Amino acid sequence: MIARLIVRLVALLALAYLVLPLIVIIGASLTTTSYLAFPPEGLTLHWYKVMLDDPSYVAAFTTSTLLALAATVVGIVLAVPASLALARYDFTGRAALSAMLLSPLVLPYVVLGAALLQYGAAIGLVRSFAALLVGHVIIVMPFVLRSILPLLTPEQRALEEASADLGARPVTTFFLVVLPQIRSGIVAGGLLAFISSWINVELSIFNTTSELNTIPVKMFNYVQYTIDPTIAAVSAITIVVAAVAIILIDLLIGLDMLSEPRQP
Amino acid sequence: MTGARTTLLFLLFAPVAFFAAFFLAPMAVVLFSSFTAPDGSPTFAHYARVLLDQYHWEVLWVTFRIALLTTVICLLIGFPLAWYLVRIVKWRAWRRACVILIIVPLFTSNIVRSFGWMVLLGRTGLVNDALVSTGLLARPMRFLGTETGILIGLVYILLPFVVLSVGNALAKIDTAFEQASADLGAGPARTFWFVTLPLCLPGAVSGAIMVFALAVSAYVTPALLSGGQITVFSMLIFQQYSSVFDFHYGAALSVTLLVLTLLLVGMAGRIGEAGRRA
Repeated sequence: MIARLIVRLVALLALAYLVLPLIVIIGASLTTTSYLAFPPEGLTLHWYKVMLDDPSYVAAFTTSTLLALAATVVGIVLAVPASLALARYDFTGRAALSAMLLSPLVLPYVVLGAALLQYGAAIGLVRSFAALLVGHVIIVMPFVLRSILPLLTPEQRALEEASADLGARPVTTFFLVVLPQIRSGIVAGGLLAFISSWINVELSIFNTTSELNTIPVKMFNYVQYTIDPTIAAVSAITIVVAAVAIILIDLLIGLDMLSEPRQP
Repeated sequence: MTGARTTLLFLLFAPVAFFAAFFLAPMAVVLFSSFTAPDGSPTFAHYARVLLDQYHWEVLWVTFRIALLTTVICLLIGFPLAWYLVRIVKWRAWRRACVILIIVPLFTSNIVRSFGWMVLLGRTGLVNDALVSTGLLARPMRFLGTETGILIGLVYILLPFVVLSVGNALAKIDTAFEQASADLGAGPARTFWFVTLPLCLPGAVSGAIMVFALAVSAYVTPALLSGGQITVFSMLIFQQYSSVFDFHYGAALSVTLLVLTLLLVGMAGRIGEAGRRA
């Protein structure tokens, strides 16, 4: 009973710890002072207007969104066949291949970013949307791969074989049997992929310019020179957008990934 | 058999080609340039510079110490939180709200989150105000520019990974095992220690590996919360590539960080495997 109380207490404190900075940022963005203050002194939306009047913020928001979308789509298109190959076939180098495809998950992004810059400089792929995209695809694909692989079980395989036995062509089987079965993995992995691209600084920072900038890199460069309520307003917008997106996703597909223990 | 081979080739062609072109090739370039002088002749001088300099070892030690502490604290906080969400919360709507609460920080960039802590941990920030007014501290404490500050920021950023991976593992445990253990006369503590914990260990280990790897290579959070006072390894690499422009020396630093990270992640994986079998 005491253990239960302690767990409850730690959990609630941890939840408070998770929301606190977000509340502080939103609060500080509403201050009427020209410096950051929390609790805010007076309430104003002035700093949001300052931000919207700056076209470079709007451009950075657009670049980030397009980049994350493109990286996620390409990542899914590459991860689905790769996961089928890894789960279905036993071939030489299978373990090595799986290790390689998953390795960006544990690789320092700064190293990968530096490597892509050095390599990109040699082949002329720098400071462009394409240069940003290839790096982002590399880091997001493992997220999708890792969420699909556990779903390709022997039981799933049995249904696939049944479909083939009943005369369905491989393509039909894929779209009508396999795809619905791995859909939850694609959605969950795609979600993680989109997030990790959307918030990435370490990789993007090597290939962004003042014209082509993602929102996290722009904010990072800004925060190092000045801290004022404008940057709090930009941050607050990203928090609100994130919260709205998650609630939408939750309503659409359900995020209840921690539901009660499954009964067999 | 040829049919299977053709299918395999068809499935693997695009992902392998993409990874070869934009992952293996860049990494090979880095590895190659770490062993060559600017004129292309082979040399170990960059590594000698990395490994023989006391300063680099200090930076490495700081980096790994922060990453290790981050991982341990994340597990200590994340496990109870995951347990609470999966096993204690009965009200579905509240669990859903909590899951959303855990994911929202994940959706916001670590700039935004570190920035929040910059505001909170300042000399006149909320944390110091609270600590002083409750009498826990006589005068404001310096957090920014200290390892404690970086630690608070990193734990904050990486905690959701642990909660989600441990929570997933906990949710998948078939309660029949625990009931069986209780039926056989084991107390709750014994059941937890010998049945539940081993069953969710793989989830905890994979979460911990992820946290450790991300903490070792973290750049943004330490950069913002260190206030230029503390250097972690990723900052050294970044300096070489963005301001010093010594790609060869930068490459040697990159390879060093890479090898050390992979070694530790490999070790953690082994431990996880052993735990799973035990």
